[in-house]
Amino acid sequence: MLYFGKQIIEISFALWHLPESLPRGLRGTTFSKMSASITGLLKPWTPRVFLVRWSRYNPYYLEPEPRKEVYHIPETELTPEQKEERELKSVRPIKAATNSVTSSVFNDPVLSKFVNMMMKDGDKIIAKGIITQTLENMKRKQVEKYHKAPEGKKAEIECNPYAIFHQALENCKPVIGLASIQKGGKFYQVPIPLTDNRRRFLAMKWMITECRDNKHRRTLMYEKLSQELLAAFSKEGNVVKRKHELHKMAESNRAYAHYRWW
Amino acid sequence: MELETRPETFSIFRTQENDPACQSEQHLGQYYTVPPSHFHTVFPHGLPPRYQQQVKTFNEGCVMVRQPALELISHLKRADYSKPTLRYLLYGVKGSGKTMSLCHTVHYCSTQGWLVLHIPDAHLWVKNCKELLPSSYHASRFDQPIQASNWLRNFRTTNEHFLSKIKLRQRYVWTKRESTEEGRPLGELVDMGVSRVKSSSDVVGAVLKELRLQAGGTEGGFRLAVAVDGVNGLWGRTTLKKEDKSPVAPEELTLVHNLRKMINNDWCGGAVIATLSQTGSLYAPSSAYLPQELLGEEGFDSMDPFVPVPVSLYSEKEFESCYLYYLDRHWLQHSHSQTEEGKKEMIFLSNRNPSVLERLCAFL
Repeated sequence: MLYFGKQIIEISFALWHLPESLPRGLRGTTFSKMSASITGLLKPWTPRVFLVRWSRYNPYYLEPEPRKEVYHIPETELTPEQKEERELKSVRPIKAATNSVTSSVFNDPVLSKFVNMMMKDGDKIIAKGIITQTLENMKRKQVEKYHKAPEGKKAEIECNPYAIFHQALENCKPVIGLASIQKGGKFYQVPIPLTDNRRRFLAMKWMITECRDNKHRRTLMYEKLSQELLAAFSKEGNVVKRKHELHKMAESNRAYAHYRWW
Repeated sequence: MELETRPETFSIFRTQENDPACQSEQHLGQYYTVPPSHFHTVFPHGLPPRYQQQVKTFNEGCVMVRQPALELISHLKRADYSKPTLRYLLYGVKGSGKTMSLCHTVHYCSTQGWLVLHIPDAHLWVKNCKELLPSSYHASRFDQPIQASNWLRNFRTTNEHFLSKIKLRQRYVWTKRESTEEGRPLGELVDMGVSRVKSSSDVVGAVLKELRLQAGGTEGGFRLAVAVDGVNGLWGRTTLKKEDKSPVAPEELTLVHNLRKMINNDWCGGAVIATLSQTGSLYAPSSAYLPQELLGEEGFDSMDPFVPVPVSLYSEKEFESCYLYYLDRHWLQHSHSQTEEGKKEMIFLSNRNPSVLERLCAFL
């Protein structure tokens, strides 16, 4: 059973009692004026209009579990921790899952992150469409090459678009980054280590900006993106060039490395 | 583009029987290869665009043998061609394989030596026309030179060998100085239509009339197959406008007028095979797929009586076959798509609809 979540404001727990008069689907941004009487403040209350942007779930709520394998383990094979967890889940309320988590076997977190980064104005449908077209285009090019290649060369051609995507992203990730540190009135570009998340973010960001800026007016995004990903897979192209330039800058500035204090 | 010929290997989803005439129920669900030599002559313009891309990628053109196509072929084999033409209508939900079944039948007709008149999409003639010339032959009608000349070019590619054999039975006068005499071969008429774009719509009308007259003839008789995709476009409304912004009715287009005469069953010696299509249709709701809904009153009355051939979604066997074919051609690349879980998910997401499955497998 596939599990797609929806964002709902669930504030129906005992201490956070929802008065019946509160209308649904609120997107208010201002608190209404509280009544002057003190008696109104003594009972558990919720403001009439609820801020959505900075709201968070009551910490009592538990995270949802979208993976199917967890639910298929039979009763007998559960470890004591898992049994305890299951009992806890049967009494505690659970947060609603967001739209991006699925129990599908084809779910890929790195690809979802890439889709989110490519998204403009919250239009995930268009971003996801572009990515699927890109994957299809890459696969088509590679499969065509595969079918036309002689027997000996067939094993070397990588046809899996997901493998190409992951490898291309790996090839674009910088190993070392630069930070602007102020010392003695001047700003120096100091080489610093990068966390994994930062490296992945930089690789994706460079890929997307490269495809948005350096393409011909008539080339479609998916076409340019597939060209760039295939080039990055074989370590050519503008994005790996940018990574190499960053590495060279860091190498040339290694004298300032001791300006880093963390 | 060169299509490869492969050495014969045994597989459960392929059949070696590449001749549509010899295919039977035992080949249901299996893929047969259209021989590469036939491909460009038989199908210059009939195939769906995604299928054409697939043929280019896989380097071979494989068509699945399905129930509607086999039914049509068996009707064509047993029909009496001295009686007025039978009209067959393929209908089904969007993406269920109507155009592919039509192309399978067209391949059969072409291997049997019939003359095939394949109109790839009748909707292309009632919308998006840049040039609409008033017809010289009839005052109130409109000509579409680009569409007509394109179609004539493709017609010439499909039926090369017939063009020199069929002789005209009437003299056609195009302008004060140009005319085509009686007894000239049809090829000359078609060449004239392709080169003189202005009169190409009238040339199309003339070609259709000649073929209609000569199809059932005893001397040098050939069988004529009229294959029309998206036949519901011939009745209904168009999106074309005259210069005074009033809408053009389909009857006022020469091409549509002549094609409607072809679809009438007042001639003998052939068959009319048509497909309904909601995808390119104008002013039809997207959930409509039945003949009554898509043809409208006028269309249904003109097509009546016809033999309806329903095209359904893939059965389990056909789905298996399609899945194995994609695996064989290295099209399903995602590691999970090759597992049972992934296959179940694909069935769920596509509901066994052929085109939805194809689009799903494209990025998996």
